[in-house]
Amino acid sequence: MKRDWKDFQLYVITGENYHPGRPVTDVMEQALLGGADVVQLRSKDAPKRELLAQAYALRELTRRYGVPLIVNDHIDIALAVEADGVHLGQEDLPLAEARSILGPGKIIGISTHSIGQALEAQAAGADYIGVGPVYPTGTKPGRKAVTTSYVKEAAGQVAIPFVAIGGITLDNVDDVLEAGARRICAVSAVVGSEDAAGTCRAFLHKIRAKQTEAAPAAAIEVRLNGRPERTTSRSVAEMIGQLGLAGKRIVVEMNGAIVAREAWETTKIEEGAALELVHFVGGG
Amino acid sequence: MTDWKRPGDPLVIGGKRLLSRLFLGTGRFPSPAVLQQALAASGSEVVTFAVRRVNLDEVEDDSVLQHFADRELTYLPNTSGAANADEAVRIAMLARAAGLGSWIKVEISANSRTLLPDPVETLKATERLVKEGFTVLPYTSDDPILCKRLEEAGASAVMPGGAPIGTGLGILNPYNIGLIAEEAGVPIIVDAGIGSAVDVVQALELGASGILVNTPVAKAQDPAAMAAAMRMAVEAGRLAYLAGRIPKKRYASASSMEEGVSKPTIQAAGTKDNPAYAGAAPAAGAGLPAAAAERGV
Repeated sequence: MKRDWKDFQLYVITGENYHPGRPVTDVMEQALLGGADVVQLRSKDAPKRELLAQAYALRELTRRYGVPLIVNDHIDIALAVEADGVHLGQEDLPLAEARSILGPGKIIGISTHSIGQALEAQAAGADYIGVGPVYPTGTKPGRKAVTTSYVKEAAGQVAIPFVAIGGITLDNVDDVLEAGARRICAVSAVVGSEDAAGTCRAFLHKIRAKQTEAAPAAAIEVRLNGRPERTTSRSVAEMIGQLGLAGKRIVVEMNGAIVAREAWETTKIEEGAALELVHFVGGG
Repeated sequence: MTDWKRPGDPLVIGGKRLLSRLFLGTGRFPSPAVLQQALAASGSEVVTFAVRRVNLDEVEDDSVLQHFADRELTYLPNTSGAANADEAVRIAMLARAAGLGSWIKVEISANSRTLLPDPVETLKATERLVKEGFTVLPYTSDDPILCKRLEEAGASAVMPGGAPIGTGLGILNPYNIGLIAEEAGVPIIVDAGIGSAVDVVQALELGASGILVNTPVAKAQDPAAMAAAMRMAVEAGRLAYLAGRIPKKRYASASSMEEGVSKPTIQAAGTKDNPAYAGAAPAAGAGLPAAAAERGV
């Protein structure tokens, strides 16, 4: 029922120093409300007990939103709080060791800074890789930026999901997407923002706009929640996925008839179809 | 101390036993976290919410349901936004298709300023949804005959409004609510218009079986505390109803028996310092010597 985590588009990492005085869970809840679809807990300097407490809190939060929680570096904390996976750097425990501890069911992400490292991680069984830092960033001071040319290489050669990371903001994300990234990771641009939810929405808007632009050829015209839209989706399931709604509890009505969830995959969308997507919101 | 609790007093709607008589609406809370706190404090087992088009510009604006994932609740989706029976039936079908169970709160407003329920369309929708196998709880005006008609149409509970939605005016027509409750063969849940705990107690004392609140909790300065107050008010009102209130009377009737009233026997003369009768003087302790004298101390 839940959306495949690999379809993620916006990966948000915690960065407490960017929001002094606001609890990390509040900021991350805003990010989740804004549509972040992976959350990573990262804190290089926090005492381990504090990190564990944060991990428990974020586990509860991300579970509520149906979003994977990834723990940076600390495999033990990831296991303790039943996180969905870990993210490891080039100097951390080798992938094979981490996999033997975590088992096959957990997500393992690897930071890579060159196409060589990317292909190595892919071959070793990484579930996704980080590609960066695309731009110089305060979260990794001293690390040389890989620029969008590595993003371009990754887009051409890497088969597993890759997420562009490092200094990406709403001002430069278009260039990163232009270079071929389909997944974006942001830290300071999101958690350092007064309106984390709005910033996430703006990122997702740009990511999705790029995708639509990339596949305009076979678009058909439909009516979606009362307004005309062009879509390349051919089935209800595909459309729901493209809209980023796959994990959500929604109901679909097409041409006046409810489409049962089990039938989303096999229900074709024809030119001119009228679709209504509804969900449940607060009310008395 | 006697135990006043009555464990054998559940509210049964559509075959479901509910220990809480307080239904909570989920709109207009300042944040999901506050909603969660209020829900916990209310002890409610039934929550209501609305069915809406997904906002495709802000897809992230996700369903309220995710916040209930850990709780055992009965869902009562409502048809708010429906302007007639056809629209209400469609919304009910959509809600049921989501696998939320088959309870539905029929809510059909035809006037955007008062949001008062449309009685004719509400009755039509109730009839149709009962035939479709729903457990139907129509929100309706406080008209005793209409409430009876809704019951006859197969409503599992009837929900007359105390006052227009969100006004907090309390129960504008206690006579009608009392009459509706007295005549009802199904539970009467007073919905809409509640302002604070006092209105809840009144509704329950009038014989209502339960209450649905949203705005007075969500918009209270401390929603969780107000939710707790509502819970206690429901208990107090229900208990008072079961306990049986005294009839209202025009004149006093003493609560102490009249025989053996203690009357002072010493007619103390006024002095310069204490000119009045000592027993009636306002000075602290002035009555004591007289009373003590009477008891022979």
